[in-house]
Amino acid sequence: MRLSGALLVPVLRTLPWRALGAAGAVGLLIVSMARLSDAADEPLALNLLRAGVLAFTLGLAFVLDDPARHTTTPVPTRRPARHALRVALVAPVTAAWWTAAVLLVPDGIRPPVGDVTLEAGAAFTLALAASAAAVRFSQAAEPGQAVAGAVLTTAVLGLLLWPERWALFVATQDPKWAQAHDRWGMVLVGAVVVWGACGPEPLRRRVVLKPTRV
Amino acid sequence: MTSTVSAEGLSLHYGGTRALDDVSLRLTRGVTGLLGPNGAGKTTLLRVLATAVPADRGAFTVLGNDPGTARGRQEVRRRLGYLPQTPGFHPDFTAFEFVDYVAILKELTDRGARHREVRRVLDEVDLGDVRGKRIKKLSGGMRQRVALAASLIGDPGFLVLDEPTVGLDPEQRMRFRELIARAGEGRTVLLSTHQTEDVAMLCHRVVVMAGGRIRFDGTPAELTAVAAGRVWNSAERDPGAKAGWRTGTGSFRNVGHPPAGADLTDPTLEDGYLLTLDDAGVEVAAA
Repeated sequence: MRLSGALLVPVLRTLPWRALGAAGAVGLLIVSMARLSDAADEPLALNLLRAGVLAFTLGLAFVLDDPARHTTTPVPTRRPARHALRVALVAPVTAAWWTAAVLLVPDGIRPPVGDVTLEAGAAFTLALAASAAAVRFSQAAEPGQAVAGAVLTTAVLGLLLWPERWALFVATQDPKWAQAHDRWGMVLVGAVVVWGACGPEPLRRRVVLKPTRV
Repeated sequence: MTSTVSAEGLSLHYGGTRALDDVSLRLTRGVTGLLGPNGAGKTTLLRVLATAVPADRGAFTVLGNDPGTARGRQEVRRRLGYLPQTPGFHPDFTAFEFVDYVAILKELTDRGARHREVRRVLDEVDLGDVRGKRIKKLSGGMRQRVALAASLIGDPGFLVLDEPTVGLDPEQRMRFRELIARAGEGRTVLLSTHQTEDVAMLCHRVVVMAGGRIRFDGTPAELTAVAAGRVWNSAERDPGAKAGWRTGTGSFRNVGHPPAGADLTDPTLEDGYLLTLDDAGVEVAAA
């Protein structure tokens, strides 16, 4: 607890505020079109919210970037604790951003808040899980850019190629809305599991059973 | 002398490449130099011993602790200093703030004691005067010293330094040698370098790696002795030499198997290093 307190200010300073700020601003700009456009209806508002979430998610992909990673790897403070502190510091900002995004959508055309919050939460957690995986499986100190690229590509490919029977991006009037949100719940749980699994530093690597050359 | 770091059969593969191949070594107090060409496995070995990456196989202990267990790794990290090959920083931090940040990560939670320790290590690397300067405003040599100061936090018993003198000018290198020599008093220091002069001047022991394996382990004098009777001068480059170059006097210095009646000369540590690599099958001209 004392350690977290001491780390609070330096970690706060190492967070990628510029990336988060830019992504948040772009996201809010996108969502604000629901308020600015006269022709906006609920399906459009939903899509704008989803696009805004994607924009902010790209910013979250940078949260685990640490240019001093190699200098500070072999320290007794465990990596999961350091990551958890970073995420804890970003969480209120994320919550504030999401609240602002939801409030930007006029009352009459606002999609069910609980369900879209689940979608947003799953997307945010996916980005953090992807970042944790990048840190776990690569030596990159700042994998954010690559993770953001991967998140964007996955989102686009997901929209285009995701099988209909497992649809995630459905309209509010769609009878599969509830089922889709069960799946969003599974995505969230999956992301949390991946994140949890990738957090700790391994004590031993798995042996690669490939032919070797010196 | 009692060994402080002991490794047995360390192996590590990256994809199909064997970066470490059954490496065993024991380190004692003082500075041990680690020499080898690019891709020899030096950095990988240092990263494994610094607990930055785990090995695929093998085991090691540092100051009596086994990093193969979660608790052991924590203990090792409490007593370890690590200067990576390309240290990263938060450029907006001052030198003091950055070293303080590392000190917190090293569990120095008492603010007063921690700040005293940060000032001590910054003074030790002669950065006391610029501790309030942002890292992005510091020269390359100063940044290296900030990283060295960070590695010295908490008075670690085992210090791992990965090519700390790369990119430094001769004056900075000399300064760094002084710091490393001082750091080696009462500690175990493992120093990876391409500079044979660093090893000759600083190390009581030298390990040569190539192809992920240890090819030599002994004193600098013993490494130099590898080249005894295998270095000669000639007016022209000897085509039979493993390596040869024109010296400042205009004659050629050759290393390899001298012809009969060759003008043999005293070998240097570098000659011994080149011939050790040659014996290991490494192309010495490229080493």
